[in-house]
Amino acid sequence: MMAAIFATLLIAFIFDLLGYQRFALRCLFISLALCIVLFLWEIYSPVYGFRMPWLQVEVAPLSAPFAS
Amino acid sequence: MREINRILSLSAPALDRVFLFAMLLALAAILTIAMVVQYGLGEIPCPLCLLQRFAIFGCCFGLIKQLHSGSERGTGISLIFSILLLVISARQTLLDIVPRPGHEYVGSAIFGIHMPVWSIFIALGLLIGFAIRLTFLGGLHSAPAVESYLIRRLTRALAIYVAFICAINFLSVVVQCGMDECHTSGYRLLP
Repeated sequence: MMAAIFATLLIAFIFDLLGYQRFALRCLFISLALCIVLFLWEIYSPVYGFRMPWLQVEVAPLSAPFAS
Repeated sequence: MREINRILSLSAPALDRVFLFAMLLALAAILTIAMVVQYGLGEIPCPLCLLQRFAIFGCCFGLIKQLHSGSERGTGISLIFSILLLVISARQTLLDIVPRPGHEYVGSAIFGIHMPVWSIFIALGLLIGFAIRLTFLGGLHSAPAVESYLIRRLTRALAIYVAFICAINFLSVVVQCGMDECHTSGYRLLP
């Protein structure tokens, strides 16, 4: 998948250099779509889904001193 | 005051091109440094690091397009990829911000800051740069391409260089990942 992303990006650059602007843009947006799909796949966890439970914070009791 | 405004309005298109070229040059330098860290220091990029690299290449594409044409489409493309870079790098920073097995920052820190955090700064720098450009230099009056021979030649050379390092990155990704999932344990196609 990553190879496909960079391949379409490289094709977009080559088309752009050769002056085929429309094809270059199409390839660029195909690579962008592939990138978004791969990004979502990479960050998805079967356990947590897209959540990040390790970022939970605790509410400090109001009466507790801020520095000890 | 009117004279100053007149001079500024005349030089705005030229300043605009120089500003865009400087942004493109900075991104090309960042991509080159990333490659030096990968091949020189032997640090294998993680999948999200590669996607951040891809987003920077997308920003370069938009900047090259903006420098070649008079429309603002290139800026739009660069903004899309800047936001993509910000989303990916912020997510990776949040993934690795609490060290736990299998989740810690990949690679060594540069000036005490790891790569995904640097990517956040790069994305914010790009967004701020485009905001400054559109606020002070942009607008329809500066849209027509400046016929500056030097800037055109330099942009062409830089575009070829960016395409070249994109080709190297493509080959590197094929060697590292093959046609499958990417890992930081080693290059899949190398013994």
